[in-house]
Amino acid sequence: MSLIPQLLFTGLGIGAIYALVALGFVLLIRAASVVNFAQGEFSMLGAYAMVILSGALGIPYLIALPIAVVLMAGFGVLFAGATYWPLRHRGQMPVIISTIGASIFLANTVLALYGPSPEVLPGLFDTPGFEVGGVFMDSQYLAIMVTATVMVALQFLIFEKTLLGKKLQATSQDKEMASLLGIPVALMILITFAYSAALGGLAGILVAPVLFVSVGMGAIISLKAFAANIIGGFGNIPGAILGGLSLGVVETFGAAYISVPYKDALAFGLLLLFLLVRPQGLFGEKIAEKA
Amino acid sequence: MAIRHLTRRAFALSTAAVATMPRFARAEDTIKIGVVVPSTGPAAEAGKFGINGMRQALEMVNEKGVLGRKLELVTEDDQTTNPGAVLAFSRLSGRADITAFIGPIRSTQVHAISPDVLKAAKPMMFGGTDPTLTQEGNKWLFRCRPNDSYSAKVIAEFGTGDLKKQKWAVVFSTDAFGSNGSKALEAALKDKGITPVLMQGYTNQASDYTAVVLAVRQSGADIVGSYFTFESDLGIFARQLRQLGVTVPWVGSPSIVNTTALNLAGRALFGTYGVADYAVDATPASKAFAERYQALYKAIPDNQSSWTFDAVNLLARGINDAGSTEPEAIRAALAAIRGYAGAEGEYNFDDKGDGLRGYNVVKNENGKIVFDRRIEFKA
Repeated sequence: MSLIPQLLFTGLGIGAIYALVALGFVLLIRAASVVNFAQGEFSMLGAYAMVILSGALGIPYLIALPIAVVLMAGFGVLFAGATYWPLRHRGQMPVIISTIGASIFLANTVLALYGPSPEVLPGLFDTPGFEVGGVFMDSQYLAIMVTATVMVALQFLIFEKTLLGKKLQATSQDKEMASLLGIPVALMILITFAYSAALGGLAGILVAPVLFVSVGMGAIISLKAFAANIIGGFGNIPGAILGGLSLGVVETFGAAYISVPYKDALAFGLLLLFLLVRPQGLFGEKIAEKA
Repeated sequence: MAIRHLTRRAFALSTAAVATMPRFARAEDTIKIGVVVPSTGPAAEAGKFGINGMRQALEMVNEKGVLGRKLELVTEDDQTTNPGAVLAFSRLSGRADITAFIGPIRSTQVHAISPDVLKAAKPMMFGGTDPTLTQEGNKWLFRCRPNDSYSAKVIAEFGTGDLKKQKWAVVFSTDAFGSNGSKALEAALKDKGITPVLMQGYTNQASDYTAVVLAVRQSGADIVGSYFTFESDLGIFARQLRQLGVTVPWVGSPSIVNTTALNLAGRALFGTYGVADYAVDATPASKAFAERYQALYKAIPDNQSSWTFDAVNLLARGINDAGSTEPEAIRAALAAIRGYAGAEGEYNFDDKGDGLRGYNVVKNENGKIVFDRRIEFKA
């Protein structure tokens, strides 16, 4: 089994997890100018929804999966009503603080309702993986990589090629102007929250077989996903993907060749390096440029 | 002004009356034990098991009573973090009505609150196994599990003696528990003339262990010894270890046989060995504890509940032996306990506050923890 290809596969797998969660961040930053610190909790709620649907209720995995994603979309609308809507005219900071509060509230609500026991959620495939050319391909990492690729393509198409995407971007850049142009601003923002929560939930469901389902699972990955956003360029879709993947690869190779205990320090060292040398990230901040 | 003076005086008198009356008036006044326990964070499930053990002990203790009164637990969540533990302990130590404490099972958190325990000057039972915890001159600390100098000796003895392995890879958490456990294992192996081929630390709550597993594989080790703090970390590592083709024997510290780890890792832990401070079949007392636990909670207990069960029982005995709730008297009575048969083993506290010196070797046979034997050391 060869070392470098194995590390590369694992790094890309981990990076795809960060990228998938980072995509949810990007949506809300671009369309509603909201930095949502409860994005990790969306992942946690999605995973728990799947545990209930697939585990407790016995619904087959492939039927439970879309149900859980739709439920999360509905939850996104509720979340917007509770955290964003009452504060939408008070600037970004109160909304950010509100999402931090919501993150703590959601984690503790799940803890109170579901208890502290971590759960095992089976993956999409029965087999844990297979070996190709001496590299063990974890089936769940593959599923995450494929899903991340599909979602980034889908998201890019929505934002760049559809009228809905244009409306969402217009809403993000200038809500008053968008409103004057006849864009239903409130609806656009609700759609964004619903999509972001659905995406977060999907990420959680895919990540659950790797990290287990627990109240704290969102916190583990959301910080790295946030860093991926900054590395890629705040609010940039390809940037979030590339930021996530590079973060995953850097920490995996750093752990293998430099130090395992300092792998998080290496990942956040990369973040600091970008903040110092290229604060606009790999792809710059599109919203700021447009504004 | 006169009215204001009168009001103040009346207020002061009534406050004093309220503060002093209940102590004399209410015979059912409880003896309160402050408990620092994780109700949230990655160890929340383990915290629940700990509370189960305490409640089971409370049921027994309160049948007879302690100094004619009942024991009551006052719990505070440590959030599975050091700052959380410090905050939880400060809330408890600020209450004058708390007689003694039960602290965390995680050594790093015991380290964090140890200076405050010294200031509070009341006994604290705890479960952390870092040997240094009782070597820093804090006379109020009483350990209800054997420390890792013993677990390391048992891991080394079993791995080199029974399994006849010489090339050791030691994988450990870089927190206080894991670091000191690994040092103890390195020392125990050195005593047998063995230098590990790999000493590999990791940080808690990592999402991937590929680099650690590959390091184990590259090292050419024929056995893995481990000190994992969190069961979720152990679960991910175990799965990746097997997926990446490492099949050498693995002897782990007690977390390898904990209920949570067994549930999360499943088949990946089949065939592994553990040194466990608690094993159901180790002694008649451990068996009796397990039977009652199963009747109460419909689950098999692990060390998360056995040590807290013992902690409550030992405190009850200490307070009864002391004949008062005066902290120094309780401390002296606890320190004098000899031959107490607890769920974890026979307690004989030494002058440092260590009560136990034995570990059980167990094997995971298709998910069932099978007792092999108990190894006791002299103080």
